[in-house]
Amino acid sequence: MIQFNECSFRYQGGSHNALDGISLTIEDGAFVGVTGASGAGKSTLTYAVNGLIPHHFSGDFYGSVLVNGLDTVEVKPEELSRFVGEVFQDIDSQMVSSVVEDEILFGMENFGVPHEEIGRRLQQTLSLLGIEELRRRQINSLSGGQKQKVAIAAILAMRPDVILLDEPTGELDPESSVMIFELLKTLNREFHKTVVVVEQKIMLLCSYVDRIILMENGHIAFDGPTAAVAGEADLFRAQGINIPRVTELGEKLTGMGLYHGALPLTLDGGEKMVREVLADA
Amino acid sequence: MNLLQYQPGNSFLHRLNPITKLAAAFLYGAACIISGNLFLVTALIILMILIAATAGLGGRALRLTRNLLILGALMFIIQLFFVRSGDPLLVTGGFVWVTTGGLVSALLLSLRVVAAMLPLMLLFAITEISDLCGALVKKLHVPYRYAFIVTTAFRFVPLFTSEFHDIEDAQRARGVEYDTRNIVKKVQLVAPLFVPLLTSSLRKVDAGAISAEVRGFNLRTYNSGYQQYPFHLADGAAVVLLVALIVVSAVL
Repeated sequence: MIQFNECSFRYQGGSHNALDGISLTIEDGAFVGVTGASGAGKSTLTYAVNGLIPHHFSGDFYGSVLVNGLDTVEVKPEELSRFVGEVFQDIDSQMVSSVVEDEILFGMENFGVPHEEIGRRLQQTLSLLGIEELRRRQINSLSGGQKQKVAIAAILAMRPDVILLDEPTGELDPESSVMIFELLKTLNREFHKTVVVVEQKIMLLCSYVDRIILMENGHIAFDGPTAAVAGEADLFRAQGINIPRVTELGEKLTGMGLYHGALPLTLDGGEKMVREVLADA
Repeated sequence: MNLLQYQPGNSFLHRLNPITKLAAAFLYGAACIISGNLFLVTALIILMILIAATAGLGGRALRLTRNLLILGALMFIIQLFFVRSGDPLLVTGGFVWVTTGGLVSALLLSLRVVAAMLPLMLLFAITEISDLCGALVKKLHVPYRYAFIVTTAFRFVPLFTSEFHDIEDAQRARGVEYDTRNIVKKVQLVAPLFVPLLTSSLRKVDAGAISAEVRGFNLRTYNSGYQQYPFHLADGAAVVLLVALIVVSAVL
């Protein structure tokens, strides 16, 4: 479980709080999407969970963050990384090896996973992500989607309870983006990982996550179940986040008096809505 | 193609322990430097090219030799005019320019440079840097920190190159003409690019450091590595052969 208690953080030399009085709880097994404009504090929020704040980035830290009951101020990031793994925004610069296999081994080797166990986990992780054939490949020869899978594999191999991902589809094409979210869904539903994903593509978030957090200038502007997003569309628009097109269509149809149900967020919901409207007509 | 790039393979040379390969490259180079025999040094260069050919690297060895010969030629010229022993060879107006001793020692020095550097450069063709560093940490207990610096440095070179080209292209799209033949002008145009290159590189390095830190970099010991680098009979045989080579070159 992740618990923010009135947490504020200001980067050294910063003019405003990157996190401003954040209080929130993320239960075990949750699938949460974090969105918001650039500079709203989304990445900073993830750094507060894995202990990079206050251990790596210096600044003024107030309040507390508890991960599995451990105070992030008291334990080091490498201790926290036994529970929390983060896939960072820049795919290339977070790699520490030139070969896929070495990249996935790195964390397990460091944490002293017994060698017989390492081989088994390596194999499992590769097959879970469907990248067995990339095992001996040079990382710089891979496509963006493949690299992202390797980055996720490197984190998964350490078997964290919580996986943080900072804009994992930022450099990917639409097809690979969907593939990554399908994978996150599997990790959440079948392997019971807590998944917290920072993402600008609201359509993807609405189609996959259970809960959405909208950040604005370091504080939380919206926090609720995904279904509630449609009713708060203006809140999202104010932050420059485009709500899903099907929701917009729903708003228009409602405005025209043609539709009276709940606003859809996903393509399936949109289809249902359009069928209803057509049946009434 | 990059002449120092790793070339995957499964030859006898590829399969040797990385430490054996490193030691062998140094011992071979040492044999070339110890030897005062022009013919033996020449023979060792040819032998090295033949050995490389057994690993499918004959072409690369020849190209490396050619490049090293250019370096050798430069050293030959310098040495030729500075060593003054033996009989005069080239005399103009009573001033001795070249002596027989100078000629022999210049020839020997330039061939030694080629012969000693060739195996070291071929080492990179048959050994992955990460394997070399991994074996040094595991077997010789070299601190992982240093091994990490070396592998990271090698890994970042292509990243920086592509970053540099990106910045150059961005500037070119705004009308900067890098294609000028005027060297001075070109340097003037390229120099300002190093500031954005440096800042973006530092950002990348910091991101890499964070990523390594949260994956337990500081907990690592020499025994953490999963890859094993066992020594085989062939490794012992290679070292014995090379020690014998050193003895031969010292005697001849």
